[in-house]
Amino acid sequence: MASFKSIRGRVWPLLAALSVFWCFVSSAEAQQQASGFAVERFYQSAPGGGWFVMDDLDISGRLGGAISATSGYERNPLVITGPDGKQKLAVVSQEAFLDIGGSVTHDRFRAYLNIPMPLLVTGTSGKLGPYQYTAPNLTLGSSPDTVSDGRIGVDARLFGQPGDLLRLGAGAQLIFPSGNRSDYVSDARYGGMLRFLAAGDAGAFRYAGQLGVHLRPLNDAPVPGSPNGNEFLYGISGGRTFAGPSGWAVIAGPEIFGETAFHSFFSGETGTEALMTGRLEQTGTEHNLRIKLGVGHALQQNFGAAQWRIVYGVELFGHK
Amino acid sequence: MNPPSMFDVTKSVIAVLASLILAVSVASAQNGAPAPRPDDDFSLMKMLSDKGVHDIDNEGWNAYGQFTYISSWKPAFNAPYTNLNGSINSLLPTAERSFTGTATLYLGARLWKGAEGYLVPEVISEQPFSQLRGLGGAIQNFELQKGGATVPQVYRSRLFLKQTIGLGGKSIVEDSGPLQLGTHYDSRRLVFVAGNFTVLDFFDTNAFDIDPRQGFLGLGFMTYAAYDFASDARGYSYGGIAEFHWDDWAVRYGRITPPKQPNQLPVDFRLLKYYGDQTEIEHKHSLHGQEGMVRVLAYRNREDMGRFSDAITAFEADPAKNATTCTTFNYGSNNSTAPDLCWARKPNVKEGVGGFVEQYIGHDIGVFARGMYADGKTEVYAYTSTDRSATVGVLAKGTSWSRPKDLVGVGTNLGWISDIHAKYLGMGGVDGFVGDGAITAAVERSVDLFYSANFQKIYWLSGDYQHITDPGFNAARGPVNVFTVRIHGEF
Repeated sequence: MASFKSIRGRVWPLLAALSVFWCFVSSAEAQQQASGFAVERFYQSAPGGGWFVMDDLDISGRLGGAISATSGYERNPLVITGPDGKQKLAVVSQEAFLDIGGSVTHDRFRAYLNIPMPLLVTGTSGKLGPYQYTAPNLTLGSSPDTVSDGRIGVDARLFGQPGDLLRLGAGAQLIFPSGNRSDYVSDARYGGMLRFLAAGDAGAFRYAGQLGVHLRPLNDAPVPGSPNGNEFLYGISGGRTFAGPSGWAVIAGPEIFGETAFHSFFSGETGTEALMTGRLEQTGTEHNLRIKLGVGHALQQNFGAAQWRIVYGVELFGHK
Repeated sequence: MNPPSMFDVTKSVIAVLASLILAVSVASAQNGAPAPRPDDDFSLMKMLSDKGVHDIDNEGWNAYGQFTYISSWKPAFNAPYTNLNGSINSLLPTAERSFTGTATLYLGARLWKGAEGYLVPEVISEQPFSQLRGLGGAIQNFELQKGGATVPQVYRSRLFLKQTIGLGGKSIVEDSGPLQLGTHYDSRRLVFVAGNFTVLDFFDTNAFDIDPRQGFLGLGFMTYAAYDFASDARGYSYGGIAEFHWDDWAVRYGRITPPKQPNQLPVDFRLLKYYGDQTEIEHKHSLHGQEGMVRVLAYRNREDMGRFSDAITAFEADPAKNATTCTTFNYGSNNSTAPDLCWARKPNVKEGVGGFVEQYIGHDIGVFARGMYADGKTEVYAYTSTDRSATVGVLAKGTSWSRPKDLVGVGTNLGWISDIHAKYLGMGGVDGFVGDGAITAAVERSVDLFYSANFQKIYWLSGDYQHITDPGFNAARGPVNVFTVRIHGEF
């Protein structure tokens, strides 16, 4: 049996080689001049995170983890208003995706990977003022194997225990580029997220919230509707638990989430969505199941916030 | 370097090597040992298992990865003509370098009883010889994809669900590995697969279960060169597969998606209209104490493809319907005196049948052969231009010289085209890969000789030599020598 030290000696060169390879991917992609950007603003919580966007910070136990599959459809995630304030162009009018994720947990820590795959991204091309917009035309048939910007992240529960009234935590994500900007599925450059997380249980009620920063190098200002660099993230959720037999429960409640560019703090480039969610879950065993459904509408429909969306997902999770 | 003498040297080397291998096999013939046990391997999963936090024999999940870099060099070769009259599919006679770099993550999870899910993201960067033109089944590097680019591309190669229903019999151990959770199966079982995969994950799997990234480099050794299995430009498909295993027997059937247009990436999901059907019967046996396997595979594709005879008829009836006047999908030939398949595409059927045999002849040494006969009436739609193919080879692990993870192999791959295919190419026509503008029809042959040396357990450094005669089924050109180095790592 190889010692851990010798194993580590073999693995580090491998990881270094892969890192160099990914940097090559990044630099090569960054050289592309295609228009468009990653229009999706539905930044999911880590697999096993409970809510769709928020995180219940229920990380505990010995080695555990989760796998998740989430899919959804959204309408008009990118509608741009012309300089006259009247003309509108739905550059991205439909978007559907599938996201497969996996996480590993230990004690109060979680590491995870999310691989999103666009199934449909279409819209309408047109001209608004001096700007010409070319709509994406991505379908599963035309792009049968596209992976859009993926995420690797870590979360930690820093304060409180599962079930406590207040739990605090933090998380970081690396967003690695994949896919084409012209398909509106990628910024074609590395990004990141830093989030401060809060969650808690009060009897049958649960809540969660987040504040964070989306480190987004892409700044296409002054093109209307385009990213303006780093963004401020915010969100809150709350729900009631309806307990059933054998560890089954239904948790229902809203999630509100959004983002705004620091360059135009809570002015033009701000998008906010509300999602009514319900999830059926069985917990308390080594192998748990969660089925999620959410239906939402934009509160502030711009900057990638969809006019309406439906999302659904399933998670298998547990720990020893 | 004089190519004919090079071929003679190669034949001598092969003869010596084959003699050596056979001699070793006789000396150490004890049992038909399969691939090394997982205990010999290093992987992340093995490390977790050793630390007591992962049950590698009954896995709920696993994750494996690999990276491979292959660099090939082709010296200049003799060619009296290249891309004659504006045809475009000649292998260029100048010296060229080709490479591929891939990195893959294999993720697997048990979803419920008997159900396994797999997701495989991959990134590839590549540069083929001559834009991947001019060779049939003798393409020197199986990793090359149509439409690939030097700019790395990330894509999802597989996402599928596998459901196994046990029917009894003996309990068979399946070791943990890429696309395989460590588990036990009944020797009698039904298996259903649905999703996105390459059909080669299940049909005509590689000889002796050797990872192709450790074994032969040539495309013709991955499966039958004449097996034009329906797939997109990267070699992957959507569809479903059903398998029935009964002890040493297995029968499988699959229906998968073809591309919308030949050799392109977009997929046609109209599985009732256009499809690739295949069925395979497999039997494992033991011969004088050595394990072996025999398989018979038949395929039938229905795709929007052109028949060579129809393209010729259209051109002869109206020379204005030539390769430069296409109004639908075509390969961009500039030969105005040639027919083109663009004038002949309609729903057509392609069929083929083939056989495969592998046999251990000693400890960690085996021979294999496969051959396929396809009808040769229609154009290549996904794999190679070959209409009939035959491959023989010898593979050996380095157990006899105390390097059990090393691998050495030598083999030859032969490819034929049908008479009507040759007539079409002779008139200057092109298909997805070949078409020099003229042809002296011949058997395309390649000899592949490689050695993969393992170091630090997870890396393999390979040297490979291929000698290709009559490239593109054209005796007027070549032969071609290809020298390749490969570095491969697994974790």
